[in-house]
Formats: sequence, C-alpha cells, structure tokens
Amino acid sequence: MLITLSHINKIFTTGEVAVHALDDLNIVIEQGEFVAIIGQSGSGKTTLLDILGCLSHPTSGDYWLHGAHINKLPDSELTTIRNRQIGFIFQTFHLLPRKSAMENVQLPLMYAGATRTQQQDRARELLTRVGLQDRLNHHSNQLSGGQQQRVAIARALANQPALLLADEPTGNLDSQSGNEILTIFDELHDQGQTIVMITHDPLIAQRAKRRITLLDGRVLADESTGSPTHPVLQEI
Amino acid sequence: MLGAIFRDALKNLSSNMLRSGLTMLGVIIGVASVIAMMAIVEGGQVWLVNSIEQLGTNLLFVWKKRLTIEEKRLFAGRNLQLRYDDALAIRNRFPDLKVAPNIDIDGQIKAGERDFSGRITGTSPEYSDIRNFHTASGRFLQTTDIQTWNRSVVLGKTIAEVLFGTQSPIGKEVKIFRSARKIKKSDATNGEKKEQQAVGEYRFTVIGVMEPKGEISGQDRDEMIFIPVTTALRFFSGNDKIGSMVIHVPDRDQMEEVTQKLQQFLIQRHDGVDDIHIRNQGEFLGAIDQTISTFRFVLGGIAIVALLVGGIGIMNIMLVTVTERTREIGLRKAIGAKRQDILLQFLIESTTISVIGGCFGVILGIFAAYGFGNLVAQSMPGGGDWGAVIKPTAIAIAFVFAVGVGVVFGLFPAIKASKLDPAEALRYQ
Repeated sequence: MLITLSHINKIFTTGEVAVHALDDLNIVIEQGEFVAIIGQSGSGKTTLLDILGCLSHPTSGDYWLHGAHINKLPDSELTTIRNRQIGFIFQTFHLLPRKSAMENVQLPLMYAGATRTQQQDRARELLTRVGLQDRLNHHSNQLSGGQQQRVAIARALANQPALLLADEPTGNLDSQSGNEILTIFDELHDQGQTIVMITHDPLIAQRAKRRITLLDGRVLADESTGSPTHPVLQEI
Repeated sequence: MLGAIFRDALKNLSSNMLRSGLTMLGVIIGVASVIAMMAIVEGGQVWLVNSIEQLGTNLLFVWKKRLTIEEKRLFAGRNLQLRYDDALAIRNRFPDLKVAPNIDIDGQIKAGERDFSGRITGTSPEYSDIRNFHTASGRFLQTTDIQTWNRSVVLGKTIAEVLFGTQSPIGKEVKIFRSARKIKKSDATNGEKKEQQAVGEYRFTVIGVMEPKGEISGQDRDEMIFIPVTTALRFFSGNDKIGSMVIHVPDRDQMEEVTQKLQQFLIQRHDGVDDIHIRNQGEFLGAIDQTISTFRFVLGGIAIVALLVGGIGIMNIMLVTVTERTREIGLRKAIGAKRQDILLQFLIESTTISVIGGCFGVILGIFAAYGFGNLVAQSMPGGGDWGAVIKPTAIAIAFVFAVGVGVVFGLFPAIKASKLDPAEALRYQ
C-alpha cells in the first residue's frame, strides 16, 4: 500500500460557520496505480489533494504515505516528504517566470541538496524525456501551455517521487496538448509510476485505471474506469 | 544552495531595476551621509588641533585672575598682579622652562606717511621658539634688546607690506605711539607719564619681518608687531605689570607637575594669594575634543536616522515583494523549500539591496565628503586647510550599519514569507 487514508475529516471554520470539507474519508491506493479523483466543484477534491500532498493536515483521521504516518509528522518533515516522495503538477503549471526550463526542473533537486552538476544532468535528462530537449534554456513565457506543463511534469519527476499528484493537469490546455500530457501520464504509469489525478472532467478521468468520485466530502464511488455505473455519475 | 539563492536574489532585483534602484537610494543616501558627516567632523577636528598646535606645543598659559571687590579689599597691600619679575623669577627657579612674558599695547605704527593701528606685543626672545613663529628676514628680539630696553621692532608680514610696500624694512625707522584712549587714562592716573605721553611717539628700528603665518584661532599672526618687553614696560605702560606669560615645558608628561609647581611658586611670590590662572594647552585640546564629539554624535545621529529611513524603504518594498510572490513561495514550499530556505532567500535579497546600496553609498560618501570639505574650506575665513578626513572606521561603521539595516528590516518580511501556508499561498490570487 502506498497510500492509506483512514477516517479522514477536514473541517474549515470561518467565523461561526464550520464547513465539513472531507467527511470520514477512507481510501487505499496501491503502488503503481493511476487513479482519477473526480467530483464537482465543492466536492472536496482540492482539500483531498492538499492532504494527499502533505500541504495541510486533516482535522482528524490517519494518513499513511509509503509507511510514514503523515499526520503525526511536524511541518519540517512534511517538507522533506513533499520534496522526495511527491511530485506536484498544477493546472496553472506554476513555473517560476524568471527561470529557464532547466532551472525550473532543478529547483526540487536544489532543495534536496544535489550538486549543481547533478541538478543539471538530471534536469536535462527529464526534459529530454518529456520531449523538450530543444527548449532547455527557454523561459516559461517562450513556451506554449503544453510545453510549460511538460516542464512541470519534468520538475515533478525530479526526485523520483513515489506519488505524482496532478491537479487538473489539462485544465488550461487545448485538447491536443491535453492529450499529449495524458499520453505522458500513460507512459509514466506503464513504467510503474503511481499517479493520482484530480479532475472535474469525466472524459479525462477516463484515462485513469481507477476512478474515485467525491460528493460533499465523501467517497461516492470507487471503481475501475469504464462507463460510470452509479446513477449520480451517469447524471454528471 | 547559498550560491543559487544569491543568484536568484540578484536576478529578482535586476528584473525590477527601477524599484530596486529606488530602494537602494535610501541606503545610498544614508551611508553617504554617515561617511560625509563623519569626514567633515574629523576634518574639523584635525583643522582645529592643527591650529592649536601651530601656536606651539607643550605650552602653559599664565594670566591674572579677575578678583572680586571683596577679594581686592581683603588682599589690599599684598603683592598681587602678574609682573615681569615673576617671569624672571620663574626663569631662575626653573631653568628648563622657556618663559615668554607678554604685554599687549594698543598702539599705532608709522613709517613716513603710512601708518597702521594695531596691537603691539612686548615679549622676549623665547617667544619665537615657544610659539613656533620665526622671522623670514632680519632677526627676532635678542637678550641684548631686552637688557638695554632697545627700541627695536619686528613686524608681521602684513604690517611690513602696509608700511614699506615691496621695499625691505630692515634697518628702517618707524614711529610707535600708544592709542589716544590709553594716553588719557595714563594722564589721569599718572602725572609722571604726562611728559612722555605728550611727546607720545618713539622711534624704533625695524630689525626683522616675521614669516607668513595667516590666521590662527581668530588672530591674524601677520598683523603682529613685536618689541622687547622691557621697552614696552618702560616706554608705554610705565609699570612692570605684564598681561600674561607663555611657558614651554620640555617634557609633555611633566605638564601637570610643572603646573602645580608654578602655581605654588607664584602663590608664594604673591604673598599667599592664589591670583593667577595656569592653563595647560592640553585642556584646550580636551575642550575641542569634547565639542567635536558632540558634533560627531549629533551629525552622525542624523545620518544614521537617514539610514534607518532607508531601512524602512527596504522593509516596505520587501513586504510588497513577498505579497507579489506569494504563489512562488507556495510553489517553492510545495516542492521542498524549508522555512529557513524561504527566510534565507528573502533575507539575502534585502541584504543584497543594502550591500549594493552600501557600496554605492561609500563611493558617493567619499565624493560628498570632499565636496563639502572644499565648500567649508572656501566659505570659512582661515579654513583653507580644512579638508574632509575619511577614516576607514567611518566607512566600516557606515557599511556594517547599512548591511545590518538590510538584515534587520528584511527580517520581518522574510519571516512573513517563510510562515506562509503552502496550500493557501499556491492558490493566492
């Protein structure tokens, strides 16, 4: 088991109103799975991503990642886990604008303490792997959306993470570029990479091998991909 | 990693040149003012000390105390006043000391049709060495002039030029007489003098012209006129009271001891009355030091306030930068930047501003110091030798303080950045 979420609750309190973003969530994800987490806006997808990505703690419940009891760890160790075990891919790419593709990919390696040469070698290798060997020194404003997302994937893979966490990775891309990104995901999955992809788009979710549907902070359905069987999903 | 963070800092600063430049300007002006202020104050101190030391070194100044009416009544009949005898007695008792008695007479000096009103100083040959003031041509007063009440006179450079133009005055004759006010006073108090004062003027022979010395401590040395002290007493004041004495002590370490001995010696001579002041030249220098220190604190303080304002500028701009780059901070934290990495990144940025600003400030400060120094020199009478003195310590203080300002004022924004919640920061709009 790579990921175990057990009775996870997340409650946000704003003033006197408490919002139950995640409500007794139980999910297990095995090593090498390609899982899509799907749900409408407000279903708790983003909150779940934050907890899976060790960016925030659950209000209650237990989270194990690769054997580490995440919600018992202090912030400093969560930082190390994010650096070594998790690769993030965001809808808006989140590349640093004043840096080249190479430098963006080098960032997680720098924080991991790699030497400059190691950083550069690894960044070059990863950018070649996502087909950007000709764009190594381009800045983000010189790259198309699809290319930027490929740089982000290369950055996410820098420290060979156990988990690739993608948040609407194709949300800002045209269908062709989106398809290219999903093809890279397929390839990575074939190579044994665990991928958790959060999306609101059932067609995109279709590319994953397993689909977890959230509604109001609960798991509505957890099934292999194919035609949605749940009546609510059919409506969606 | 430090190298990468530093490169990042430079890149971030250079990507926003105008903003970085304006922020640096605060530090530049602050550092430059600290250096310039310090340099001007130091220059002033050097100038003042030099002026004092040009008067001669290791000097004791002796003059009569002003007694109150009660004291005068109380000590009536005792041997008070500073007299020429006192100077001679000191010379006998303390042969190591050089003693120059001094009596100033307001008078007029005339050569043909040209004349000059000024102060005529009666003194002894020692004066020249003690005050480090020598003749350019001819000779200064000699012992024989004193012993024989010789009517010889040594002229300051300006007087010589006024009276004789380009001609050499040596061996020429001048007439000297007291100012009218003094004559009247003498007339009223001393009937004997009446005849002399009526004649009024005495012929003197010019024996020397002093070297140019300029103005020192408000007195133009080139307008001085020297005659033998004995001549001055005999022909102009009619008694043996002298105004003051300047005494040279060979060993600087003995100044205190000699002062005490002289004080006792003179009290004894004055029938037990302590009616004289003896001041050490060091006391004047000490007073100057104290004044200069006050200036240093006040001006340095003002300059440091300027530097602090520069620091507030840094803090302001760093807070804006942190807000602008919230998403970047969120991303960096998400992919593995620790709190201290973020803290260091922003701290290095603010410190870089202050270091670069400090460097430019040092350069500007040096220019400003010399510029101001020249301005002061030109605008002050006798301030021609006033130059800015830039001490390495002043540069070091200004620079270190500037860097400190960058660190201290950058700390709050950096801490703020490092404490951002990564999940919230990533989605900051």
